[in-house]
Amino acid sequence: MSTKEHKERIELLQGTLDLLILRTLLLGPAHGHAIAKAIEFNSDDVLQVEQGSLYPALHRLIKRRWIAVQEGTSENNRRAKFYRLTAKGRRQLAVETSKWSKLAGAIARILLPVEQEGRS
Amino acid sequence: MTRRKRMIEDLDQDIRDHLEMETQDNIERGMSPEEARYAALRKFGSVTRVKEETREVWSFVWLEQLWQDVRFGLRMLRKSPGFTCLAVLTLALGIGANTAIFSMVNSVLLRPLAYREAQQLYLVREIIPELSRTYPTLPANLPNFRVWQRECHSFAEVAIVTSSGMTLTGYGESEEIYGGLASANLFGVLGIMPELGRTFLPQEDTPGNDHVVILTNSFWRDRFHGDPTIVGRAITLGGQPFQVVGILPASFRFPKGDQFGALTGFPLRTDYFKPLGLDPEQFSPLGEFDYAAIARLKPGTSVGQALAELNVIQARIAKDAKQGVGLRAEIIPLESEVVGPARRGLLLLLAGVGAVLLIVCLNLANLLLVRVPSRAREAGIRTALGASRARLARQLLTESALLAILGGVLGVGLGYLGLRWLVAVAPANLPRIDEVHVDARVLWFTVFVSMLTGILFGAMPAWRVAHAEPQQALKAGAVTITEGRPARRLRESLIGFEVGVGTLLLIIAGLLTTSMVRLLGVDKGFSTEHVLAVDVSLPPQSYTKPEQKEEFYDNLLARVRALPGVNSAGWIDRLPLEGQEQVDSINVPGRSTTGLQTPIANYRHVSPGYFQSMGIALRQGRSIEQVDRDRHVAVISESVAKKVWPGENPLGKQFHPGDDQRSLTETIGVVADIRTVALDEPPLLMVYLPAGPASRNYASLVVRSAIVPAALGAAVRGAIQSVDPGVPIRHLRPMTEIVWESVGVRRFQMGLASLFAIFALLLAALGIYGVVGYSVARRRQELGIRMALGARGSDLRNLVVLQGMRPVVIGWATGVLTALVAGRVIRGLLFGVSAQDPLTIASVTLVVLVTAALACYIPARRAMNVDPMVALRYE
Repeated sequence: MSTKEHKERIELLQGTLDLLILRTLLLGPAHGHAIAKAIEFNSDDVLQVEQGSLYPALHRLIKRRWIAVQEGTSENNRRAKFYRLTAKGRRQLAVETSKWSKLAGAIARILLPVEQEGRS
Repeated sequence: MTRRKRMIEDLDQDIRDHLEMETQDNIERGMSPEEARYAALRKFGSVTRVKEETREVWSFVWLEQLWQDVRFGLRMLRKSPGFTCLAVLTLALGIGANTAIFSMVNSVLLRPLAYREAQQLYLVREIIPELSRTYPTLPANLPNFRVWQRECHSFAEVAIVTSSGMTLTGYGESEEIYGGLASANLFGVLGIMPELGRTFLPQEDTPGNDHVVILTNSFWRDRFHGDPTIVGRAITLGGQPFQVVGILPASFRFPKGDQFGALTGFPLRTDYFKPLGLDPEQFSPLGEFDYAAIARLKPGTSVGQALAELNVIQARIAKDAKQGVGLRAEIIPLESEVVGPARRGLLLLLAGVGAVLLIVCLNLANLLLVRVPSRAREAGIRTALGASRARLARQLLTESALLAILGGVLGVGLGYLGLRWLVAVAPANLPRIDEVHVDARVLWFTVFVSMLTGILFGAMPAWRVAHAEPQQALKAGAVTITEGRPARRLRESLIGFEVGVGTLLLIIAGLLTTSMVRLLGVDKGFSTEHVLAVDVSLPPQSYTKPEQKEEFYDNLLARVRALPGVNSAGWIDRLPLEGQEQVDSINVPGRSTTGLQTPIANYRHVSPGYFQSMGIALRQGRSIEQVDRDRHVAVISESVAKKVWPGENPLGKQFHPGDDQRSLTETIGVVADIRTVALDEPPLLMVYLPAGPASRNYASLVVRSAIVPAALGAAVRGAIQSVDPGVPIRHLRPMTEIVWESVGVRRFQMGLASLFAIFALLLAALGIYGVVGYSVARRRQELGIRMALGARGSDLRNLVVLQGMRPVVIGWATGVLTALVAGRVIRGLLFGVSAQDPLTIASVTLVVLVTAALACYIPARRAMNVDPMVALRYE
């Protein structure tokens, strides 16, 4: 089964997925499938999400009113549901991004020296 | 709300769109349509889980899931109606029994007495150190109470009350009514407001102003049909008018018997209260200790401070009295005195009934565990389809919670009925039994217990099902030969535990029963078979002179003795087992009246024929005869002879019955000791005097007959009526009934404990039966192989029985050991039997092992009938 494959991918923390969705929608409204594709593409397939887990996340964001839903037509001319960033979501994205980079920086500072020592 | 609904409704479409787009992408990448669809599905992950998680975002989800689980659970319960019925019924019985017993504990032990700020109320008892070996504490006496009222500043107030009885005439049939003689401030101290009218005024305590009464609510309703105009009117009591000044509220409760301390005897029914109307000057400071004294401590005053102050006052009273004895006091919280020894028994019953519920839970856990393998299969499928473990566990817990709730609802009903039954059969002298009812606390308790049982029996099976490996469960579903060792261990230890608790309960019930048997078999000193006891009371207005009373009693005895079937008749002023009364010293001339040696005896007045009728053996000398009527003679009990004249012949010896003002009395006979207070209290010193001029207005006629006493009742009643139709008969019952009633509280405890123990045993047997039966069913194949290999049916049966008995024996041993260790906890409830009584333990062992063996044997017989061919083909 797919367990092995599963482990090599980076499992996304819930909050991270939220952040990635917000970041994707910053570029403009998109429908669900497009958001999934964009996240995969932009992260060079390293961050692979089970696409389904996108939906609970989207609903969570809608509930918090960080994104909103609007009707639209997809690239193949079909009616589709588009998600767009709200003003509140935009502010939240700024907050989350700075939090994330602080965290990432901190983790990097902790991990890097150890790795160098290990090599020598 | 609508947003949430729309979002969830759209979700299916969104997912379908998503999958379609992904499939399209894959096709464009060159996959076949079928391949493309699978790839898309794989990439998407479990659709069910996505839907569920998305719904969960909209937070109402737990409610929805709960509803789902409830519906599913109900469906599952309907699918196995036998199990469901058994589970709900046993739970209902367990929860019902707990509700009923807890209601009693709640009303008797937990709720404060129905008086204002009852925790500030204390009972004041007096102590004469010289008497404390025989009487550790005494009720209060009137003059001392007046001194406390004036001088003891630790008391906000103090009141006294003693029992009283009068004859009510003028309202239909004349009737003896009972109540209290109370200081005017009694209701103030208790904090009771009358429902109608007023309570007593201070001046009504003095002689001459005391012709007023307050009626209790129940008496007022029964006798005066709740007529409010009775307040202010006069009723005739003891031939004299008494003005009714108030009616007490229906919520008012007053203790019975000696619940206000030893040596006070309040009636079982309280009809009225009357002010004291006594002059303290007429009383000696060291006599007539007859009153229950109730004090309300000042806020902020400790018991220790109050006692210290009171003891100083007591010491001074004793010094002023110049009787050469000391005087001290004791202050006891009123509530603990009222509830007294009933506490331990009730708590034991609560523990017992709790143990029964525990067994119910273990049994259900066991039955659910038996179902684990089949449920594990279902769970495996659901896990494979993407259900989370938590979700599965929740589902299963919902099922057990449903059972618990159903059991709880039914249990409240049963508990309510059970409580009504308990109150009906409970002995009337069980403290506060008239206050027992179901209140909010009881209902909360039931809710709590139901939830707890649901968790208790549901948790383990739920955990096991949820943690079943789906693959194994699915694989094992096809062929199941033997179950895992841990699963069997678990069920066996549950059985062991059940048997252990059951054994413990049976031992306790057995010990209580043995105590009861020993108690009833104790040498009472009198014999009860074929003895009828009739309490009569002479209306005081028509019997004012002693001669009138004597004449009545003489005529009565003559008539009764003439009745066919009557062997002998006599009377006494207070029957055995009805408590102490007329307690005074035996004062032998020339001996010091003080010090530890002063013997204290209960004095009784008897007619000729009493000893013979009551079956009290004459040991020496002669009994009281007609000629003794005006003589100063006495018949003493054996212990008096031993105590007062050790090693001497007591006949012809003289003493003063009481202080030396009383006439010198000569001993003419010695009779056997009797149990005066209760069967479990050793005999007291008894002195019997001829009734004669001292005859009172009440007496208990004792009739010994050749026929059953019940058949004699009407004839004796008729005899009394023929002497004077105006004399009310208070009680008419065989002596055996008095004995039976005197052990009422024990009987109650024993009965309930036995009921619980038998229930526990049956439950444990059911558990054993279920487990063994199940193991036979599961091992059909193995047993078939054994049989094919030449084992005989009886061998297989014995094998199954032996395996089934293993946990039983372990449980039994644990139960016996626990009983041996914990026995001292119940020692106070036992009589004439040690907590480690080998006979009881042996009998219980026999009962437990035989029952368990039967419970194993019945299903094990099925092992004999296994057809090897069928069993092997079964695969």
